[in-house]
Amino acid sequence: MIWLGWRQQRTETLIAAALLALVAAILVPSGIEMAHAYSRDGLSHCLGFNKAGGNLACGNVIGSFEQRFSKYSSLVDWFTLLPGLIGVVLAAPYALELERGTNRLAWTQSITRRRWVTTKLGLAAGSALVAATALILLLVWWRQPFVRLDGRMDNGVFDSQGVVIIGYTLFALGLALAIGAVWRRAIPAVMVAFVGYFVARIFTDIWLRQRFAPTESLTWRPANGPDPARLRHAWVITEGPSDKFGHLLGAGKASVCAGPGCPFPGPPNWMHAVFVPASDFWSLQFTELGLFAAIALALIAFAGWWTLHRE
Amino acid sequence: MSDAAIRADGLGKQYGSNWALRDATLEVPAGSVTALVGPNGAGKTTLLKLAVGLTRPSEGTVNVLGLEPRKDEAELMPRLGFVAQEHPLHSGFSVKDTLTLGRRLNPSWNDEIARKRIEHLDIPLDRKLGKLSGGQQAQVALTLALAKQPDVLLLDEPVASLDPLARREFLNSVMEAVSEREMTVVLSSHIVTDLERVCDHLIVLSHARTLLAASIDHVLASHRLLTGPRGGDDVVARVHNVIRESHTERQTSLVVNANGHVYDSRWEVHELDLEEIVLAYLGYRALEAVT
Repeated sequence: MIWLGWRQQRTETLIAAALLALVAAILVPSGIEMAHAYSRDGLSHCLGFNKAGGNLACGNVIGSFEQRFSKYSSLVDWFTLLPGLIGVVLAAPYALELERGTNRLAWTQSITRRRWVTTKLGLAAGSALVAATALILLLVWWRQPFVRLDGRMDNGVFDSQGVVIIGYTLFALGLALAIGAVWRRAIPAVMVAFVGYFVARIFTDIWLRQRFAPTESLTWRPANGPDPARLRHAWVITEGPSDKFGHLLGAGKASVCAGPGCPFPGPPNWMHAVFVPASDFWSLQFTELGLFAAIALALIAFAGWWTLHRE
Repeated sequence: MSDAAIRADGLGKQYGSNWALRDATLEVPAGSVTALVGPNGAGKTTLLKLAVGLTRPSEGTVNVLGLEPRKDEAELMPRLGFVAQEHPLHSGFSVKDTLTLGRRLNPSWNDEIARKRIEHLDIPLDRKLGKLSGGQQAQVALTLALAKQPDVLLLDEPVASLDPLARREFLNSVMEAVSEREMTVVLSSHIVTDLERVCDHLIVLSHARTLLAASIDHVLASHRLLTGPRGGDDVVARVHNVIRESHTERQTSLVVNANGHVYDSRWEVHELDLEEIVLAYLGYRALEAVT
């Protein structure tokens, strides 16, 4: 049965592998280039450097580095779609098989239907896992210089820098499998699942993640020197001038406002921020992985159950 | 006939509000080659799908070799061969891949049977299934079922989509297989003509009900067309089982399941062929063709 499963998802496995190869073809040369520039320009010496502080040389070096490689960085932002793409592609053979009714051929051989379902779904999930892991390694390796400079907590970076990618890939796979099992039309199922994946990801980014993230808050006096160390590379959800009890003044985000149009002239006395510190990176990664993986497993189990019990 | 390969008891299948099959009670004798005949929509495909466990009964039970298809799947499936109506094969697979599939998925697979058949049929091993003719695809599907060495072989409308030549070849293959190996075969069809050559047993199914189930020899021996003067058919009906009657102004024609010899000299007795008998059961006016 494993032979058959592989034989049937051969094309889709190759597509997923080609996608990964394409990503590698973009990331590997530019990653090497960045790593070179990073060590040549001596950026590691500037890591403790605070932008508001006085080290002008470091400011220039970091500035030129970021400017030079920002084009890659904005390209790689699009790679956030890759887990979804890989997931739905690897789910396609299952839906295709149900669409064509060729599952009945396998079901009238000697193996049980349950074994057929578990093998097919297991292989799809297994290859999704492998592809996701490869993608994680590529993206994490590539972004190292940026992560050292800016951290990896921001929404746009967090989702490409760790185990959450496994969760996203499995989620897209599970969604496409479940829709495909019920609808039994491969192309529409894959497309709807991809849209569903996209919506779920946006929803997580802008609403959900900050709800389950272990947020902290701080109120500090900017006049006393640099920002608190705890804020370094943190994911700042809200930040702005406040009173000394941490009640934000005015429209939240305007961090420093000076000039005639300002509700309060000059640098504010107090600043307040709600944030997730960089040290919570892994706990947040695993929480989100757990969430997506649990939904994914439920969807995959549903796809199998539906296939077995529909008729 | 106590030894039934397939036994259905009050078997029914409902799709939405429609019954595809209802209250089917029948037996397929072990070792027989049975023609399952009925018009389109009579429930033949549903009956076979239920027997092979592709769908579950809404009511009643079906047993194959004394096993329940859905429950005893692991035990039954290695002994059961099935060729579906539309021959669902992987069109992207080569013939060779398809045979590998059979070998991998069936512990009882006999590769020699498979290779010999394909070779004998002159089907190229490396050809993709999608590139084969309909007749060849049907033959590959049959090969897949035969190499499994089943005790029961179910063929759902195997020849419906084939041209006359391919139809003949396919049925020859079935006959050959039956002569080589002891097994029970069920062929469903809405046409009888092709099956008469191959089958020794007949089940007529209409509107999900069994109208006739008997050996073909017996069916042929016992059914007669009687033609005689108008009236007097009630006397016949007292002794024999009248399946179909039709009247013209002066003449009455009866298809009867005769209970012994017809002695009444007023009636002219004609033999019927299998198709005529089946059509009589299904309610068509086949009689005009004879008289």
